[in-house]
Amino acid sequence: MDAESFTALALRVISREATDDERRTLETELASAPARREEFEQLKLTHEILRVTSPMTQATQAITPGLPAYRANELRTAVRQYFGPAASRGKNPTPFGEWMPAMRWLFAGSGVAALGFAVVLLCFANRSVEIGLYGTDLMRGGDKTLSAADVPTARLVTFDKDAPFDQWQNQPLAWNEHAKIWVDNEHDLLYIVRRVRHGAVVTETQPLAPTNEGQREQIKQVVDALKN
Amino acid sequence: MWTDRELLAALERGDEEAWDEAFRRLYPAAFAAARHPLASLTPSEAEDIAIEALTLLLPKVKQVAEFDELRLLVITIATRKAISEKRRQLADKRGGGDLTSLDAMQDDETIRFEPVEQLLTHINGTDLRELSRLLDVALSSLEPRQADLLRDFLMHHLPYKELSEKYRMPIGSIGVSLARGLNKIRAHLQTMPKLWKELAAYLR
Repeated sequence: MDAESFTALALRVISREATDDERRTLETELASAPARREEFEQLKLTHEILRVTSPMTQATQAITPGLPAYRANELRTAVRQYFGPAASRGKNPTPFGEWMPAMRWLFAGSGVAALGFAVVLLCFANRSVEIGLYGTDLMRGGDKTLSAADVPTARLVTFDKDAPFDQWQNQPLAWNEHAKIWVDNEHDLLYIVRRVRHGAVVTETQPLAPTNEGQREQIKQVVDALKN
Repeated sequence: MWTDRELLAALERGDEEAWDEAFRRLYPAAFAAARHPLASLTPSEAEDIAIEALTLLLPKVKQVAEFDELRLLVITIATRKAISEKRRQLADKRGGGDLTSLDAMQDDETIRFEPVEQLLTHINGTDLRELSRLLDVALSSLEPRQADLLRDFLMHHLPYKELSEKYRMPIGSIGVSLARGLNKIRAHLQTMPKLWKELAAYLR
């Protein structure tokens, strides 16, 4: 059997196209010429490799069919499941690129810290209480009148003239001020201007105690109440 | 319009529009691979396999350097899935008692699927690209008619009878013509002995 006839016969057997007679002929040929066994194996291997891989190489050139529209959502769902919600994925790269997560963490942390610090500052700051009074009252009352030692948590603000005292009374509470107190001797009232919830400011009055000593105790109690 | 590089970068970020575009570009290759003649799945089955293969690209996107590697990857995945599906179908048939005759048992192709699946597990995008290039070169070195005959035999797995009708050749000449062509292709493939050896190792 010549080489070409042998190869053609071998290929028919390999590709399952051979008849029983052809199979027997090939078996006889392989038995009588052992060198052809290797040739047969090589042809079989070539056929197997190409049979598997050539359809794959052809697939690289495929341009049809198009993706069925009704399968698109299925694929989008897979993308969302894998990458997470779309909102967390930037379409355009940011100037900070891969540093963004760290930047976000840093700024988010700093933001929270700054906010917390501001709240704490506000909490402490708005506890300040001012007590306005005439300087002459302090001197006249002697040891029975109010002194800084009586109200260590408050600040005494003294005035020598009516105008600045009136101005102090009428001006709104400063951002860091919780309350201010003053004595209205003309009307025998103790004025208390203080912050309440949500930053609202209220003005209250109490009948003034008749004695200097009583007034001192009254103011001390009001200051203590405001601090608490 | 995305360039391949822009598209790959957007895919890595999980950009949904980019993935829509990638799936649109890759589906034809995935579907063609799922229609591998060895698997002989129905179009509907092949569509399912192609979609599954496309979703399996998601975790692979950061492992590739070029967009085209995704095409090669989806082809190997879809082919492997299609062959496995065929094998499963045949196993179900056998288990269900559909194949009872001796002839049917002898024709049970699950046995020869094993080395094919093993080959497909190991073949990678680089191998496929190299094979594709070698085949192109080999087929272009043949007479156009002989090249077409070989394509129909190897890529579409047409039997001799159909080839004889399509090419108006006596059936006895088909084998001779195919054998000549195969020998020339083998000579080309063996110019890459490493690749040839690797492929042969899984099919022997």
